[in-house]
Amino acid sequence: MRLNLEILDAFLLYSKDEIEELNTKVLVPQMVFRRRLTRASKLVIEALSGIDAKNLRIVHGSSFGELLASANILKAILEDDMLSPTDFQNSVYNTAVSYASILFENKNEIMTISSGDETSLKVLKAGAIKALDGDELALVCSEAINIPNIDEINSCAKYLECVVALRVRSSSKEANLSLDGVKDDGFVPSLKHMVFVAKNFNKNSILAIDI
Amino acid sequence: MITKNRVYINYFDTISSAGFSADELLSNICDQRECITLDKTFIKDRAVAIGKIDTTIGLNTLLLERLELLLRRLKLKDYSQTLLVIGSSVGGMSETEDIYFMDKNYKNIDYKKHPIGAVAHFLKGHYSFYDDVSFSTACTSSANALGYAKEVLQKGLYKNALVVGIDALSFTTVRGFSSLGVLSSKPCTPFSTSRDGMNVAEGLGILFLETYARDNAVEFLGAGYSLDAHHMTQPHPEGLGAIKAMQNALSDAKLKADDIDYINAHGTGTIANDSSESMAIETLFGSDVAISSTKSYTGHTLGAAGAIEAIVSAMAIQKQILPPNKKLVDTEFSNLNYIKEPKEVKIRYVMSNSFAFGGNNTSLIFGALQ
Repeated sequence: MRLNLEILDAFLLYSKDEIEELNTKVLVPQMVFRRRLTRASKLVIEALSGIDAKNLRIVHGSSFGELLASANILKAILEDDMLSPTDFQNSVYNTAVSYASILFENKNEIMTISSGDETSLKVLKAGAIKALDGDELALVCSEAINIPNIDEINSCAKYLECVVALRVRSSSKEANLSLDGVKDDGFVPSLKHMVFVAKNFNKNSILAIDI
Repeated sequence: MITKNRVYINYFDTISSAGFSADELLSNICDQRECITLDKTFIKDRAVAIGKIDTTIGLNTLLLERLELLLRRLKLKDYSQTLLVIGSSVGGMSETEDIYFMDKNYKNIDYKKHPIGAVAHFLKGHYSFYDDVSFSTACTSSANALGYAKEVLQKGLYKNALVVGIDALSFTTVRGFSSLGVLSSKPCTPFSTSRDGMNVAEGLGILFLETYARDNAVEFLGAGYSLDAHHMTQPHPEGLGAIKAMQNALSDAKLKADDIDYINAHGTGTIANDSSESMAIETLFGSDVAISSTKSYTGHTLGAAGAIEAIVSAMAIQKQILPPNKKLVDTEFSNLNYIKEPKEVKIRYVMSNSFAFGGNNTSLIFGALQ
């Protein structure tokens, strides 16, 4: 079965190490709250603001979730140190969108998908399925894997920080964009499908998604 | 939403500290048997109460055995027409820990075996599925996996769905909850005035969903979601997010609050959760609806909890029995109808609640076949 998604807006930021052009201080004026945010949370907040999708249903995706918080926890356990409660509460995969929901007071359905290298493809599929209900949705995927010693395990991704977001709705119009020819292009593979859509986005984009 | 199909739970299976099958789980619940043990493996110099499965076989291997059993019992050839929907909070963390603690570096960690997708990656090495997706929203993971499976079948997009909720014990979760000061050193007693925390546990729940009812099926009627938008780990004190999720589930199921006969509560045994959930239930349902938390038997199986508790809910309907809280004596909300002994009653509709870090709330509703 094929579902078509109209892409209403798109947002893409990425860097080989750390994305510098974030407006977190403006978007999150409360310092205490801002200091608790993980990198992924800052990226997701930036992206949702960028596509004007602060109060929509959200399908979020990340293959590796909060890698720095997880790495800090493992290191603390290995070295028999005190484990930071903040690291633990920030280690769940839905951390980034949860902080965004608190900031934007978004009480709608928010899901987090983590399906390895196909994460952003599954986010697009889930988004297309949920969009059949008739509302606009935000789809947002992020990876922030620039943690100490990541080179011990990462051999393929060139961009260690990336966030990509789309505002979408279901469409009965003919598709003019497909996912054929998607490549990693140096991005963490989990992001490649949404990055491809964001890079090819224009105001008339109708994406075909095969379920 | 365009609703096309009705959705049925045609098969389920579970393994936890409270039993190696759904029947054994319900039997232990009705006998109010102690299934939580004291353990010193995870925290130096401190015994904590955890829900550990009594086996030397790994959870993934057990899962594989049970998926073979499912094929045989349902007389299915394979999973080639099946959407696999995983719900997990930690994915491959326990394997990552084994490697990292031994090597003291990341070099031998397979990046596909660490994250949540590790479970589906493992299963796809043994079976071909039509499609797969994995959800990770902490302790609502498999409740959300179930809700998604219902949605896609209702919309006629897949033929059937295999939902797996699974989480293994890990140093990360046991020490993590300990750092938050919410771990109990004795078996948890949700809703009791003397409750002092939760028990981290491991487990798996398997549910097979189709759009027609086989023998002994339970109908999957409603799923409701909400976000608290309040705090990362503390639920809204008045349970506003929980109320919204429960209302949304009732609306999805086209039922009224009075229709619900039993609520399988999230009921972790922490002061914050139990108080918030009790207030939410009282606000929406009044004081008559039967309530219990079966985490006093299974412990909190984190991402697997939604699936395991959906199975308890389905069995309550099949057996027409209210599963009791374990040895609950004094309750904080004494006006609420917490079930203290197993009770045979007519049960038509059951709600199962799951709440998670980030204020992620999910309520599911199941019903007897009409």
